[in-house]
Parts: sequence; C-alpha cells; structure tokens
Amino acid sequence: MNHLMIMPIVIPLLTGAFLLVMYRYNIGRQRSLSIGSTLLLVVFAVWALLQAGVTDYTLYRLGNWQPPFGIVLVLDRLTAIMLLLTALLSLFCVLYASRGSDREGSHFHALLQFQLMGINGAFLTGDLFNLFVFFEVLLIASYALLLHGGGRARSRAGLHYVVINLAGSALFLLALGILYGLTGTLNMADLARVIASAPEADLPLLKAASLLLMVVFGIKAALLPLLFWLPRAYSAASAPVAALFAIMTKVGFYAMVRVFLVVFGLDEGSPANESVLAWLWPMALVTLALGGIGVLGAASLRTLTAYMVIVSVGILLAVVSRNDEQLLAASLFYLLHSTCLTAVFFLLADLIGRYRDNGYDRFSVISPLSHRWILGTVFLVAAVSMASLPPFSGFVSKAWILQSSSPLPDYLWLWASILISGLLIIAALSRAGSGWFWRPEELAVKAAPALDGARTATVCVMIAISFSLALFAQPVMDYLEAAAHLVYQPSGYVEAVLGDYVSQSREVTE
Amino acid sequence: MDIGLLVFLPVLGAIASLLSRLNRPGPDHVQRHALTALIAPAICLLLLLSYLPRIQSGEALVYSISWVPEIGLGVAFRLDGLSWLFATLITGIGCLIILYARYYFAGKDSAGRFFVLIQLFMTAMLGIVLSENLLFMLVFWELTSLVSFLLIGFTWSSRNARRGARMSLVITGGGGLALLGGILLLGQIVGSYQISDVLAATDAIVRDDRYPLTLSLILLGAFTKSAQAPFHLWLPHAMAAPTPVSAYLHSATMVKAGLFLMARLHPAMGDTELWFSLITITGMVTLMVGAFVAMFMHDIKGLLAYSTISHLGLITLLIGMGSEMAMAAALFHLTVHALFKAPLFMMAGIVDQATGSRDMRNINGLWRTMPALMLITAIPAAAMAGLPLMSGYLSKKMLFSESLLVTAPHWANTLIPAWVTVAGLFSVAYSVRIFHNVFFNGAPVDLPHWPPRKKPAGMLVPLCILAAASLMMGLAPQATYDGVVHLAVMATSMTHLPLYDFSALSEARVPAMMSMTAMVGGVVFYLARGPLFAIHRQLPEVDAKNIFEQIMQQCIRFAQSLVYRLENGSLQRYLAFILVAAIAPALWMLGGYTGWQGPSALTEVNPMVVFGAVILCLSAIGVALFHHQRLPALLLLSVTGLFVTLAFAQFSAPDLALTQLSVEVMAVVIMMLALSFLPQTSPRESGAGRIVRDLGLAGLAGTGVALFAFAVLTRPAETISGYFLANSVSGGGGTNVVNVILVDFRGFDTLGEITVLGIAAVAVFAFTRDLHLKERVAHAGTAKGFAEPHPVILQMVSRMALPIALLVSAFIFLRGHNMPGGGFIAGLVTAVALTLQYMAGGLVWAQERMLTHFRPLIGAGLLIATATGLGSWVVGYPFLTSAFSHMDWPLIGEFELATALLFDLGVYTTVVGATLLILANLGKLMTVAGPGQEVG
Amino acid sequence: MELVVAITLGVLTSTGVYLILRARTFSVVLGLTLLSHGVNLFLFSMGRLTTASPAVIGLVESYTDPLPQALVLTAIVISFSMTAFVVVLALKAAVELRSDHVDGEDPNEDRQ
Repeated sequence: MNHLMIMPIVIPLLTGAFLLVMYRYNIGRQRSLSIGSTLLLVVFAVWALLQAGVTDYTLYRLGNWQPPFGIVLVLDRLTAIMLLLTALLSLFCVLYASRGSDREGSHFHALLQFQLMGINGAFLTGDLFNLFVFFEVLLIASYALLLHGGGRARSRAGLHYVVINLAGSALFLLALGILYGLTGTLNMADLARVIASAPEADLPLLKAASLLLMVVFGIKAALLPLLFWLPRAYSAASAPVAALFAIMTKVGFYAMVRVFLVVFGLDEGSPANESVLAWLWPMALVTLALGGIGVLGAASLRTLTAYMVIVSVGILLAVVSRNDEQLLAASLFYLLHSTCLTAVFFLLADLIGRYRDNGYDRFSVISPLSHRWILGTVFLVAAVSMASLPPFSGFVSKAWILQSSSPLPDYLWLWASILISGLLIIAALSRAGSGWFWRPEELAVKAAPALDGARTATVCVMIAISFSLALFAQPVMDYLEAAAHLVYQPSGYVEAVLGDYVSQSREVTE
Repeated sequence: MDIGLLVFLPVLGAIASLLSRLNRPGPDHVQRHALTALIAPAICLLLLLSYLPRIQSGEALVYSISWVPEIGLGVAFRLDGLSWLFATLITGIGCLIILYARYYFAGKDSAGRFFVLIQLFMTAMLGIVLSENLLFMLVFWELTSLVSFLLIGFTWSSRNARRGARMSLVITGGGGLALLGGILLLGQIVGSYQISDVLAATDAIVRDDRYPLTLSLILLGAFTKSAQAPFHLWLPHAMAAPTPVSAYLHSATMVKAGLFLMARLHPAMGDTELWFSLITITGMVTLMVGAFVAMFMHDIKGLLAYSTISHLGLITLLIGMGSEMAMAAALFHLTVHALFKAPLFMMAGIVDQATGSRDMRNINGLWRTMPALMLITAIPAAAMAGLPLMSGYLSKKMLFSESLLVTAPHWANTLIPAWVTVAGLFSVAYSVRIFHNVFFNGAPVDLPHWPPRKKPAGMLVPLCILAAASLMMGLAPQATYDGVVHLAVMATSMTHLPLYDFSALSEARVPAMMSMTAMVGGVVFYLARGPLFAIHRQLPEVDAKNIFEQIMQQCIRFAQSLVYRLENGSLQRYLAFILVAAIAPALWMLGGYTGWQGPSALTEVNPMVVFGAVILCLSAIGVALFHHQRLPALLLLSVTGLFVTLAFAQFSAPDLALTQLSVEVMAVVIMMLALSFLPQTSPRESGAGRIVRDLGLAGLAGTGVALFAFAVLTRPAETISGYFLANSVSGGGGTNVVNVILVDFRGFDTLGEITVLGIAAVAVFAFTRDLHLKERVAHAGTAKGFAEPHPVILQMVSRMALPIALLVSAFIFLRGHNMPGGGFIAGLVTAVALTLQYMAGGLVWAQERMLTHFRPLIGAGLLIATATGLGSWVVGYPFLTSAFSHMDWPLIGEFELATALLFDLGVYTTVVGATLLILANLGKLMTVAGPGQEVG
Repeated sequence: MELVVAITLGVLTSTGVYLILRARTFSVVLGLTLLSHGVNLFLFSMGRLTTASPAVIGLVESYTDPLPQALVLTAIVISFSMTAFVVVLALKAAVELRSDHVDGEDPNEDRQ
C-alpha cells in the first residue's frame, strides 16, 4: 500500500487547515506555505506519473476496506496526467497571485489549497459518491475564489455560478440515487460490472441516469446549452483564479471520460454509453461554433479567453464523443495545450491591463500602454500558439486530432469546425494585438510603472512549456496513447479494482 | 544536414541583427546593421552555388530526422532543381534587397527591426522551398504569413498599414488552415508526408475519392498565398509596407510560394480535368483582372502590385495547362518576372523617397533629373512589356505558343489564345505607361520635393545587377534555361524531357504575330488613355480594404448580437436551459418506456404516512404559492423541513432525523436573519407565459422524479450493504452502522463533507468582510424586530441552558458510535446553544467571552480528522483505518474507544466552528459594528 | 405506499424547480431548499423504505439499508453548507447590485 498516492489530497488539505489555524499569519508566510505545498504537489504528481507508467493501476483502499465496500483511490496514467497538469498550473497561479492579487481578499491561499484538494480528489477517486463529495469541495472553494476581491461583477457572476451549480449538484444526487437504487453499489468498477449485466428492463432507466450525469458534467465542462454561466464567471474572476479555473472545465471532461467510457462502457457488445455519446457529438459541435462566434464578438481579452475555453471544451467533447482510442489520446494532448494556453491568456490579460492607463483589457478603449515591446512580443508568441499556428503545441495537437479523426465517419464536420474556429481566433487575436500594440495614440506613455518581472516571467515560462510540449511531443504522445489505451480497457479496470471480489458473490460477504 | 543549415542560417543572422540593434540602436548604424544582416544570406547563396554541380547531375538531396513520428511530422529537407531555383532567387534577391534597404532606411530608427524581420522571413521562405516533409513545410508557410503581417504593419502608426496587415493575415492565414486540411488529407491518402513518397503515389492520389476535396483545399492555400482572384485583394493593400518589403515579399518571393507548391505537387496531383479547369480558369481571371486594373492605377506601387497579380495569374495559367512545355514556360517566366519586377519596385521606392510622391499624375519627366535611374529602369520595363530581345518577350511568346497547343476541353482551344493576347495588350499598355509617365510625359506637377532629393548612387547598384541579369536572360535564353530552369522543370515532371528549344520558338509564326498584336494594341491603348481614364473615373471607387473591414465589422456585430441574445445575463433563462437539457434527453430515452412498475409487490398504504405526505406536499405547494409573502413562505418551508424529519424518523433513520432537525433549525435561523435585510415581499413580475413555461418544466421534472422513485421502489434491492451490517461491530467497533459507515467505511466522504462546511464558513467570512449594510438595514425597516435587542429573560435562560446543552451534546457525541447521534449532531447542538448566547448577549458581549476564534476551530477540526487518518500509517495501514478497544466509562457505560471517535471529534470541532462563524458574520452585519471589523 | 412516496417526491421537486425559476434571490433560495429536501428524500428512498428497523446492531432483528442513510447525511450537511453560503451571497448581491433580482439592476452593465 503506497501512501504517497493520497498525498495530492492530504497535502493541500493540511496546508489549508493549517492556514486557518494560523489565521493571523502575515501574507508572506501564507505565500511561502502555499507555494511550498504546491511545489510538493508537483513532486508527487511527477511520482504519480512515473508510478502509473510502471503499473497500470495503483489502488489505495481508504480505511483498508475491500472495494467496493470501502472507498478506493485509483491511479492510472490518465489520472497522473491530470494531477501533473493541475499541480503545474496551480503553481504558476500561486506564484502570479503572490505578486499581490492574493491581498484583495481574505484567505486566498487557504481557499486555493482546498480547491486543489477538491480537484485532485475528483481525479483520484474510484467511487461515484465520493466523486460527488469532491465536486462539492472544489465547487464551494471555487465559489469563494471567484468572489475573491469583491465587486459588483463578481457578485453577480458568482450568484449565477453558484445557483446553477447547486442545481447541478441536485441533478448529480438524483442520478446517483437512481444508479444506487438499481445497482446497489457506488464503486465505479462495481457499477460497471453490474450495469454490464443489468436486466433488460432496467437498461433504459440506467441510460436515462447516464444522460442526467451528462448534464451534470456538462455544466462543469461548459457544454452547450449549459455553458452560459462561464463567460462572465471567468472574466469576472481575478486573473490567477481564472487561470486556475482553466482546469475546472477539464474536470468535467475527465469525469465524462471516466464515467461514460469506463462505468457505462464495459459491455463491449452493447455498451450503455452510445446514447450519451450520440447526444454529445452534435452538442459539442454547436458548443465549438458558439465558442468561435463568441471569440469574435468578445469585448475584452478576458471574455475572449473565456470563449476560447469554450472552444477548447467543444473540441474535447466532440472528439471524445467519437469514442475512439486514438482520438482520445489526441484530445488529451489538446487538453494539455489548451489548458496551458487559456491560463496564459487570463494572466496576460491582467498583465497587459496593468500597464494600460485605462480600460484595463477592453478592446473598445484606446489608452496609452507602456512596455509595448516586451508585452507585444509575449502577446504575439502566445497568440501564435493559441491560434494553433506552428511550431507550437497547438499545431501539433490539432494536426493529431484531425489526422486520427479522418478515418471515422462524418469527420468533415469536425475538421470544418476546428479549422474555421482557428481562423476566427486568428482574426480576433490579430485585431486585439494590432489594436493594442500598433496604435499611435498609445505612444504617449505617462510615467510608466516598471514592468513586473515575476509576473511576466511566470507567463513566459508557461508559454515555454507549451512550446516544449511541441518540441518533445513524441514521448508525451506515447504516454497519452498508453493512457487512452487503458481507458478503453474497462474490463482491466474492473479486474484491477475489484480483484477477487468479482469471483465471489455478494452472499458470501453477508 | 547542411541543407538544414541553409534554412537556419538566417535565423542566426536575425539574432545577430537583433543583438547589434539592442546594444547600439538608432539611425546612425544602418551601415553596420546592413552588413551584419548581409552575412547569413551571402553564405546561403554561396552554399547554394556550391550545390549546383550535384543538382545538375539530376540528383535530389534529401536529409531527414524524425520529430513527431506519431503524426508524421519530421525535420526533413530536400534540395532538387525546383527548390534550388527558388532558393537561389530567394537568397540572391534577398542580398540585393538588403543592400537596397541599407540606403532606403538610411537615417531611420526602424532599420534594425527591418533587418531582423527580413532575415526571419528568408528562413521561412527557404523552409518552404527546401522542406521534404509537407507538414514541416506548413510550419514555414504559416511563418511567412506571420512575418509578412509584421512587415506590412511595419509602419504601424498608419491605419492603412494596420488594416492591410490584418487583411493579409486573415486571408493567407485562412488559406494556411485550408492547406493544413488538404495536406493532412493528402497524407492520409499516401500514408506519408514525405514529398518523395507523395510524388511516387500519383495513381493512388488521383484515384482516391477524397482527391477533389484534397486538391481544392491545397489550391485554396496556394491561391490565397499567390494572390489569385478573388483572394488577390490583400496584395495591393500590402503595399502599405516599405518598398523593400514590397519588392521582396510581395513580388519576388512570398507570393511565389503558392506557385511553388502547385509546381511541386503537379507531378503527383496534376494532369486531371479538375486540376486543369480549377487552375487554368483562376489563372485566366487573375491575369485579366490584374492587367486591366493595373492600367488605371495612378500609384506606382499600386500599378506594380496589380501587374504582379496579373503575372502571377499568367504563371498559374501555365501551371494549369500542365504540359512539360507549359511548365518550362511557367518557371522561365517566374524567374523572368522576379528579375524585372524587383528593380521596378526599387525604382518606385527611389522615386518615392526623392519626390515624396508615388502618384503618376504628378510625377512626370524625371529623365532630366534622374537619367541614370531612367536608363536602368528601361530594361526591366521593356522586359515587362515584352519587347523583342527582352526576357519578357520570350516568356510571353512561350505562353502564346503553349496557349495554342491547349486542345483538351473544347472551350479552351480558341478562348485561351485570344484571352492571353488581350491580357498581353494590357500589360504592354501599363508597362509603357509606368515608364513614359514617370520619366517623360511633360513636366512634374507640384511634387512635395522639387527638385528631387539626391539619392546615393549606391542605391542603384542592386537595380543594375537585377537589370543586367534580366537582360542576360533575354539575350542568352538557351544558356540560362539549360543551366538553371531546366533542372527545375525536370523536378516538376518526373520525366526526363528534352530541353526547351528557343530557336524553334523564334521561328514560330503565330506567337510572333500574337505578341505583335499585343504590342501595337498596347501602344494604341496607351495613346488613347485619356478618354479611357475619363470613363474609368466615372466608375465607382471601390476600396477592397474598406469592404474587408466592413465585412469583418459585420461578422463581429453579428457575433456580438448573437452572443448577447444567448448569453444575456438572465439566470432564469440559464436555469431553464439546464432543465430542458436534463429533461429532453431523458424524455427521448424513456418516451415509450413501459417497465416502470417493477416485479416486487406494492406494500399496503399506511394512513399515518399518507397524512404526513399530504402535509408535506401541502406545505411545499404552499411555499410555492405564497413565496411572494416571504415570512409566511419561510414558516411553511420550516414545516416542510419538519415533516421531512418525521419521514426520516418514520422510515427507521433516527440519525437522519436528528441531523435534519438540527440542520433545519440552523437553516431557518440563517434565513430569518437574511430576510431581515431583504424586502419582505417579492413583486409579481413573471408574465403568464413565463409562469406557464415554468409550471410545465416543474411538472415534467416532478413527474420524472416520481416515476424514477416508483420504478426503483418497486424493484427488489440487491446492495452491498450486507457487508456493512456484517462488519460494523467486528470491523468498525460500533453498533450504529450508519455512524460506522460515516466515520469508518466511508470516512473519506465525511472528511470531504466537513471540509465543504469549513470552506463555506470561511468563504462567508471572506466575502462579508467589507460589506456595508447600514443603509440596507435602515431601508428594510425591519430593525424594529431588534428594537430591544437583548431580552433579559432570554439572557437568563440561555446562560442556564448553555451547560446543559453542552452536556447533552457531549452525550450525543459519545454514544454516537453505537446509538443514533455522533459528532455532527453534537456539533450542531453545541452551536445552537452558543448561538443563543449571541442572540441573547449580543455579538460584542459573546465575542468577548468566546475562548477562541472560529476559523482556527475549523482548521483544528480538519487537522484532527486528517491526523486521525494519518495515524493509521504508523501501524502501516492506509489512511483512515480505524482501531478500537473496549473500556468502561462511568455514567455512559461500556463502549469502544475507537480512533473513529477521534475522527468524530474533528467533525464536531469543525461543525461548531463553521456554524458559529457563519452565524457570527451574518449577525455582524446587523450590528452597528462597521465593516472591516473581523468576527470569528 | 410506493406511489404515495413517489408522488410526494415529485411534488417536492416540482415546487423546488418552480421556485428556482423565479426572479428573486429569496425565492430561489426557498426553491433550492425544497429541491434539496426532495433530492435527499429521493436518495434516502433508494434504499427502499422499511419501518421500525433502524440499522443499529442488536436493537432490532431486521435492519434497513444503512448506506443511503449515510449518503443522505453527507448530502444534508453539504446542502446545509451550500444553503448558508448562498443565503449570505444573495444578501451580498442584493446590497451591491442594489436589487434582490437574481440579475441585479442591470444584468449587462459589466459588459461595457
């Protein structure tokens, strides 16, 4: 039993709790604690990556109870990837926030740690109800972080975000109830086993429950028509929070993969997930289209980025709904790229906004801008990568997605929407960039504050990561393919989690 | 790998330039910048020349290392005749452009930036022509678009520059995406992106049913890049760039990339009806449009831009014809054009700088002041016009003779010759015009600088070299063709074809007559220009840039309006969407489902349950009905909560009943407090339609839940719970199975649950911190409720009640593991008791007497719980493994002292802390204690 | 009896849904509370309903399914936390947006 595996959950929990006990700590100590814990998270995420590379499934039986009776954590390659992505992202967010954004409200770092606990828990858990609990943890933390800093826009966006997600949680409980009522179990592997052998009469009910889950995860992942809370919430949040939220939609995506491809995908003959995937495909495409339109129509860089998040969600879900191993791997690569880049843009919007005399990141406002050359160059490079122009990760990931989708039926829809959305992003970003960095009006710079080196460096490093992702694409791709391959072996998952329990029947245990 | 060096040398050069610019910026170093910038291209040129012998031996040098084999993306270079020709043009003209720029940018601050970008561009361009891997080529393809964007926007203070740059980026970038699609399809068909493999797979490609799509996408990329109609519109507006840029990117090199691609893929994809019609027609249209519009341009650069377009169209047309000879003509003319168009642009730049204008209506008779320039320009101008002995003459004649050979589709054989003759006529006309207008045609008309400024003689050197080259091609066509062009032609047509016979060409009659007609007609046309211009002036002025901008604006406005209409900030609408999204699929799934009632028989109705259910329903409906009257609604809601509690009690869930009860109390208290700040009534604002819609949604949702519940309840249960009942005592050390599950079997859930509670409390603390409610309290007018804030009796009672309450909660806590109860309920009871103190004594009073603050309490609780879990590591068990031992306590009796109890202590602490923190901060809001002052 | 329970759950859900669709934060809070009542009872009933057989070992001879009870207990706590949070948030919003309408006074102001 390898205790390191629970670290991604326990470390942030301890840090957060400790920060509450030491509620009088000055901001400096809070920062160093928070950064330290996030660094630890990175370390353990790397360990997890290696561990998952060695053994397909690593289990951790909480309370030492045999699954499916106790809660079990499952670590496989997919989980490890998400853990690492989260850890790195949060590290950059904490660093950026530690330059001052964390002072705008109370307990930023404690809340952020709890948020991380929730996210990591959602990635690790192998139990559906436990997933619900961790969803709630990460949601309540995200509510608090969204409101961090106060202000009217945040209150309004926050209220909407909270109410919508509460409705979502109610739905989640409904679906859970139905599943438990019909299968009598909560462990994902056990659910998969029971569903695969469910009586014919119950199948429609189970599928209906899975459709409810689609809506629940669709709200998290921002799938049309469940995404309208997102643009304002993300553009209202303070920069580091918005950047961290870039991973939140991916949690929804991850949950979909786990639940629909594993729990409902076991029975190779007639998997219970076709109905969900059938619904997902068109909805995802429309999401993608709406995202592209929103990118074009956005009034500020933050809103634009929020819609780029939606575009990425559209691509991810459309790709998953094709239910193909190769495509899943490709989509994971795109997930890494898009998460990194959208985060970069949320931070960049803030960074640039700080050096414009007025208008912050609004496009309509013409205002003097200092440090034009450095900021302009950073923006250019980021934009090139975001528009998935070569030689950055965006290009590689899109090429991979398009390639691996081409053998499938009606791939042209995917191609068209991906390429056109790319064009829209190019158009929008070139307008934004030329409008900001190429305006004579902005030559007149008043007494310019010195450029914040740490903030800029953070952004640059993130861009560099996206670039190296393209440079060392092959090893990454190999890992992702292995991960996707595991996802498409639900029986292996069930075997690994339930072990000998599968053979022995329930009565024995009673 | 030294071909790779060829490509990446200019990058090093660019870096060098950048550094030299950084350490010594400013106008006075142009000389040094230029020399720095010249090194890399010069080396490249020499390298290329050194390769010539091996190329002439007909071999294609290919080097490749894999980069991302997964997607077939490799770092691969190919140097054969075709790429050699292009690479040489790129580096050669590049060097001359840098020479020219050294004078053009003299005294300009931006010189350094130019030299950096131009070398980057050179890399991109060399990358395109030298790539062996098509995906890899795409990398450079997009890079050219990008650098061109930056160079067009070079003088970014001008609005035209910005718009022109954006326009070109969007058009060529879009083309690039189409090309990506096309190349990926091609790769799927062939199974590889290596050009060698692609060229070897002609049949497979042409036969594949994806061929039309593939070809169209690839051509879309090529046409946008090479400014073929109707995508040519970006090119004239690219003229906002400095003249060296126009001369290099927008006439000599970048716009030829599309042609290169077509020539490159011709052996693999050419020789089909589709290829012929798509490319030929586009070429013809472009040729004519360009030539015609050029005629009427007054701006020198504008005229040159459109003539470039028409020449690109001409080459495209030839490529479309596809025969080996046509290819020969195409590449020959491509070279010729590069050699005569670049110097003409340079001339334009010199005139522009000297006179301060580019308008041919003002610029006249410069031969007096700039004789040398006149003499040199005469050659390229004549070449462009296609006068005898000039290279242009030959290439035109080649075109004419090829056009006669086209017979394939019936429409082509007469149309094309006539068409090209007319176009030739125009080209003669505008060539004559640019030369005659600028250097003769009377005296200049109010030029900004007159007499023109002197330009250094050195500025003419690059012109001379280019003019000489062009002249040589005219005089010794055979030699140049055999030496250079022929190799390229062979590369485009995989077959070993004979050399092009220029002597035969000079004998050919019909082409000669055609070009005679073109020349005479052109001169006549030019002489008759007066009335023609008059007519043209009548035609409406169309500015493609504005049209493009307007289209963009339209799209953006559409996007905005659509987004506004959908994402309109109405929570009610969003929730409705979500409900529909939840109901519709379920409805679709279970539309005709009949198996709702399961096998197990219905149990008989229990009147007490029915009574409870009725009250429950009525109270709930009451809440919905009277929600406008908020206080009554709230009271009804608490009735609902009470009966939910009873339901739990009735159906053998004592723990739930207790929890629900205590939670209910807390929740109602909180809502009461909140209500005291809010209006007491909700206005009736929903219209009938809205209400009907909502009732419909509500009804559907309710029915759905009811059906699901019924379906499950009527099915036999087969669950994992037997295990819990069996192992609760032996494994969990408690007889209250629910509690054992909470603190042991599923303790992890509970840990998460109390974390949620803790975070909620901290969040409330955080965002109520600087909330101003004073005016609110006043206006809500409910302060009366607190007129006499701290009633004495309440104080007495509450203080007496406190110890008892604490004792009770201790009891509940301790017995929790075996009997209904547990940390959570105990915590809530304690919290209620303490809350009473607050109510009675008042915030300040209570705050003073509180032993600790609440946030550390929450933290401590979480720490205790987590630590308990970690404790099991010591004995080598996983997180949250429980251990217990029996012992006998006075009063409470025999019970197990389980680690789970410690865990439950954590729960208790967190609950107390969290609940009090929420209430205290809510209470803070109504005290006069101003914002900013922290409570808890 | 199953029918009675099912209908009750349906009514609770419907009223809750109807109320969260209203335009004022307070009604929405009421709705959310009703909804959570409904959902909790639903989850509870998923363990089938038995009377007078609490899952306390040794107290009675036949036991009800304890697992849903544990789940519901967790759900109750979570929904309580959420209710408390959303109530205070609604208060904050009502003050800052100068209206207790769910969209505040002018939903589109933070666009410009």
